[in-house]
Formats: sequence, C-alpha cells, structure tokens
Amino acid sequence: MQALPDACADPRTRPYLEQFRDVHETLSGAGVEWLARSRVSSMAHLCSGGFPTQRDEDWKYTPLRSVMAHPFSLAVGGHVPDDPDRYGVPGLDSLRVACIDGILDSRCAPCPAAGLSVQSFSDMLARNPDQLKSCMGKVSGARSHGFVLLNEALHRDGVVIEIAPRVRIDRPVELLMLSCEDSALVLPRILIIASEGCRVEIVEHQVSAHAGSGLYCGMTEMYLEPGAHVKYSVIQNQSRSAYQVSGAWAELAENSRLDCRTVSVGGALTRNDLAVNLTGPGAHCDMLGAYCLSGRQHVDNHTTVVHGAENCTSNELYKGVLDDRSRGVFHGRIRVEEGARKTDAQQANNTLLLSRGAEIDTKPQLEIYADDVKCSHGATVGQLDDKALFYLQTRGIDPAAARSMLISAFVGEVLQSVEPQPLHDYLCALLDEQLSDPGTGEPGP
Amino acid sequence: MLSVRNLHAAVEGKAILNGINLEIGPGQVHAIMGPNGSGKSTLANVLAGRDHFEVTAGEVEFRGWDLLEMEPEIRAREGLFLAFQYPVEIPGVSNLHMLKAAVNAVRRHRGEEELNAMEFLKLIKQKAALVEMRQEFLYRSVNEGFSGGEKKRNEILQMAMFEPRLSVLDETDSGLDIDALKIVAQGVNSLRSSDRSILLVTHYQRLLDYIVPDFVHVLAHGKIIRSGDKDLALELERKGYSWVEDHAGAA
Repeated sequence: MQALPDACADPRTRPYLEQFRDVHETLSGAGVEWLARSRVSSMAHLCSGGFPTQRDEDWKYTPLRSVMAHPFSLAVGGHVPDDPDRYGVPGLDSLRVACIDGILDSRCAPCPAAGLSVQSFSDMLARNPDQLKSCMGKVSGARSHGFVLLNEALHRDGVVIEIAPRVRIDRPVELLMLSCEDSALVLPRILIIASEGCRVEIVEHQVSAHAGSGLYCGMTEMYLEPGAHVKYSVIQNQSRSAYQVSGAWAELAENSRLDCRTVSVGGALTRNDLAVNLTGPGAHCDMLGAYCLSGRQHVDNHTTVVHGAENCTSNELYKGVLDDRSRGVFHGRIRVEEGARKTDAQQANNTLLLSRGAEIDTKPQLEIYADDVKCSHGATVGQLDDKALFYLQTRGIDPAAARSMLISAFVGEVLQSVEPQPLHDYLCALLDEQLSDPGTGEPGP
Repeated sequence: MLSVRNLHAAVEGKAILNGINLEIGPGQVHAIMGPNGSGKSTLANVLAGRDHFEVTAGEVEFRGWDLLEMEPEIRAREGLFLAFQYPVEIPGVSNLHMLKAAVNAVRRHRGEEELNAMEFLKLIKQKAALVEMRQEFLYRSVNEGFSGGEKKRNEILQMAMFEPRLSVLDETDSGLDIDALKIVAQGVNSLRSSDRSILLVTHYQRLLDYIVPDFVHVLAHGKIIRSGDKDLALELERKGYSWVEDHAGAA
C-alpha cells in the first residue's frame, strides 16, 4: 500500500493530513482493501498537489483565502436535532431521508416505495463493498481537484439510491442534507443508480440548523442506464457563513434523460462542479441554475457537458441575481467528441446586477471535434429596467413589490418547469426571501 | 379634481414645462394638443410621478392632495391613471399576475378586502370584453410581443380595471388603425361619468372625433397658449400648429 507522505507541498493540506492519520482506520469501510488504498492514495495526492489557487484557470475568479483561513475538523456526529423533518420542503409529499452532517440518520424510516432502495454508504460498505467498487469514483475521476480528493480520502457516509428497472417512483425522494455541527467539515457521498427505464425525482436539500461556519464538500455520482429519466434538484440554503465546494458527476446511457437544477441562496462561498457525460446516443440533459446573492456571497458554477455519442442534446441555462457586493462566476464547457454527430448543445448565462458593487465573471468554452452539430452559447448582463419599475408603480404596486416581481420574472424561467407545486413555491419563496433580506455584514471571501 | 398651477419641469437641466396652468373639474374631458416637443408627454409623466423629470416650480393639487408630494404608486391608488404612450414590455410577468397585484394594492389602500382568484378572474374577463381583448392576452407577459394596437388596448383594459378618478391618456391614439381607435375610444367613453375626469394628450384631432372633449388646450414651448372648446381642435386641424404659435407670438 502507498505510504502516507510526511510532508505537504501545500501547507494548507497539513491539518487535513493530520486528521487523516488520526481517523483513517476508523472510517467506514476501513477493512475493505481497495477502499483503504484509494483513501491513502487520495490523501497523498492532496498533499502533493494541494488545494487549488487562483493561478489555476478553473479557480481564477474564486478566492479560497477565507475557506482556507482555518482548518475545519471532521464532523464528530451526534448533533442530532429532535425533529429533522421541520427542515424539509414544506408541504412536499416526499420520501424523506435525512443526512445529519453527512451521516445518514438511522431514525429514517425505510423507504416504502417498491423498486426504490435507499441505504447508507457505511452499511453498504460493511455488507457488500464490491458492489460499490465498480462505480465509486469512476465518473469523478476526471478533472478532480483538492476538494474532491479531500472527500475521497475522508468521507464517512452518505446515501446510495438505487431505482429498479422500469420502476416509476411517484413521490420525490428528498435528501435532507442537514448541517448541525458548527464549524465542521462535512463530506457526504451520494450515489444514484437509475436502472434501465426507471423514473425518479430526487431533491437534494442542503440546509443549516445553525448560523455558524463550516466546510461542506459533497460528492454526488449518478449513473443513468438506458432510458432512465432522473430529475435532480439541488437546493443550497446553508448558513450565510458556510463554505461549500461540491461536485456532481453523471453518466448518461442511451436515451436517458437528466434534468438537473441547482438553486443557490445560502452560503458565504459556494463552488459547484457539475459534469455530465452523454455516453449513449439520444441522451439528453437539462442543466439549469438560479442563484440570488447579497452581502458578499460568492457562487461559482463550473459546468461541463461532454457529448460523446450521436443525437444527444443538452440545454443549459443559469440565471443569477446579484446584489450588494456579491459575486457570481459561471463557466460552461461543452465538449463535442469526434463522431458525436447531430449534437444539439445550447448554453446561456444571464445575470441581473442590482448594485454597482456586484460582479459576474462568465466564460463559455466550446470544444467541437465533430461535424454536423448545433452548438450555441450566450451571456447577458443587465440591470432592472427603470421603465418597467415605473410602469408597475403607476399601477399602484409599491417599489419593493415591483422589484421583486421583476426579479422573480427573471429567475422564474429557471423554475418554470419545477414540479410538484410545493417544491416550486418553496424555491420561489427562498429566492424572494433572499432578496428582501438586507444581507449585509456577513463574512465573505 | 386636478389643479395645476404654474408648473415648471426640467429634464437634465433643460426646461420643458414653463408654467402650466390647468383646472380639470369632475366629469370633464380635457384635451391637450401640441406639436412634437411641446411638452405634452412630459406633463403626463410629471403628473404620474416619473422621477426622470424634475419639477422646478409650481404646484399640483389632486382631489385636495399635494400630488407632487406623493409617490407614483400612491397617486395610482388615489385614483390617477396614466395610459402610456409606449407601454412597457415586462417579460415573465403575466398580465393577469400584474393586474391582480395592482388591483389588490389599490383595494388594500382603500381599506377594501382583496379580491380572491375567482372574483378577480370574473372582473377581468368582463373588462377584457369591453376592449374586445382575447383572453389569451391575459395570460401572456405584460405587453410582450403585443402589436401597437394590442398594447394600447391593454392600457385601456387596465384603466377599466382601476376605474380611476382621473385618467391621463398619453397619445393613446398614436399607432392605432381606425378600428382599434374606435375600440379604444369606446372603452374610454364607457368609463365617462360625472365623477371621473379624463385628460387626453394627443397630437391629432382624429381621436377627438370619438372621445369628444369639453375643453381643448394648445401647448407650445411648455406653456398652454390657447384654450377653447372642441372647435379649437378642428380649427387647429385646418390651420396647423403654426397658426396658434404665430397667434400667440403676436399677442
């Protein structure tokens, strides 16, 4: 087995190496050799390669100073709220599964839906580790960075969701990712295996039960078998002092469909990597994002879609509303591989700046190695329309309500297709609330 | 209803209104006519509260209130309505949504109960019929992709919803063909009553064939230079604006 390094090229990794030394023998699946080996290897890579810096092109606009200022300690667990359900999406008739600081809450009732299996990572590793070997880290191997390695080395638990072939799960599965321990390092894993022809809607709902800080590095891997249809919504509503660097990776087989949606309102600094591989002909993915930021919040969405087969389509739309001194970053990469004919890839990033101090850095990146493809990208940056505001005022609507109406209309495009209604209403309310919150005074990057 | 006294207004330091005096009583219809650049639209916008224009002197009293001290939305809730010369497109906000928010804002202001969805729908369908507007337009984004005539009809629909005490119609006739003009005029006329007043701002006499005013004023260089009854509009149509301007200059 690879030995742990004694030295760290990047001193910022040292506290994490020390934690690794202390706990790695107690982490889930410690007795599983391939996993233990992979953990050590990830840690070694982290020590030698370090965390990203702004000199890395992919991190140019996202300063990590504040994230790295203090090392975070792995959540110890046990900070379990009496009633995690009260943090759920109100009124949503969901199959709810709670992860407290990244660890599946054992009080959760087993899911009653036929054809749906929800297990904790640690249970799965104890009972049937080899089933995980083939898929863990497979899609996340490419383009990994220090935070991915941190998760790979130190993750403790998470959720494995499997949907049986041709099963349609009628109620949404709500993964309530609850942060309860102040200033903790939380490293959840989510694995979704959508078997052939199944249909499921999953809502990953990140919320803080405290107002403190913390570092959340979640990793989600999704495998969509032929004809599977997965709706995957991520709601990011962590405390305004929390940091997050998360990633989701998906592999789509032929004729499968993934509808991804990321709505970010909370957190001091959030970085999302979303990578979708369209590997089978006729696969489709929607990548939608909405973020409403104020104070000194920072949200960075890095997306990649790889068209690796013929007749695949992707449709990407990210919309942001930035107030005060908040900052948004959008990087959209589309790669069309050789032979991926009849590709249709659309991408847009639209931003509304509500203050002079707000900033968006947006960067499309198209790499096309095939003929007969349709690819487009566009970015707009604008301000609230004065004329529209006045028009609404002359109709008796007060300026605050008029502003909120215009802003909701702007981001509404991203939420238009959200079902069921309680989820739609909740997302609208979150965005609305975020905008009426003065939001100043929180620490930022 | 409205009294404007010695109103001066400027935009970016340039004087546009140079002492307007105007008295509009309840139930009266006044028309303000004038060549391009005479300050017609500025007057309409100043009355509605557009902050782009700076009032440099004068006062405006509306139903006993100091109008210039009121925010635009309060003016609207107190019964002043501006039909825009260029109605604004608002993508993503449906006509229905905006009107419901607007009507209920007005009702709250008056201490009345808000309309529920059913009551509101019933009311708006009835008013839409008045301006011959198809129901699909209610569900579309405000003015987005509407033709010129549809936009103007949408303004009159809103006017009908609010039942304002004073309606200021800013060149509502511009860009309308004769059929649309008749529909718009019919909508406006149906709202005429002894306690509602209307101020028509227009370049052409044509509209006044359909909405017959009690008084006609001619505006030039930011001042009312002549007032009369509806015959003044006809005379103006015949002789052109240069006639009144020369006349005023000579006087």
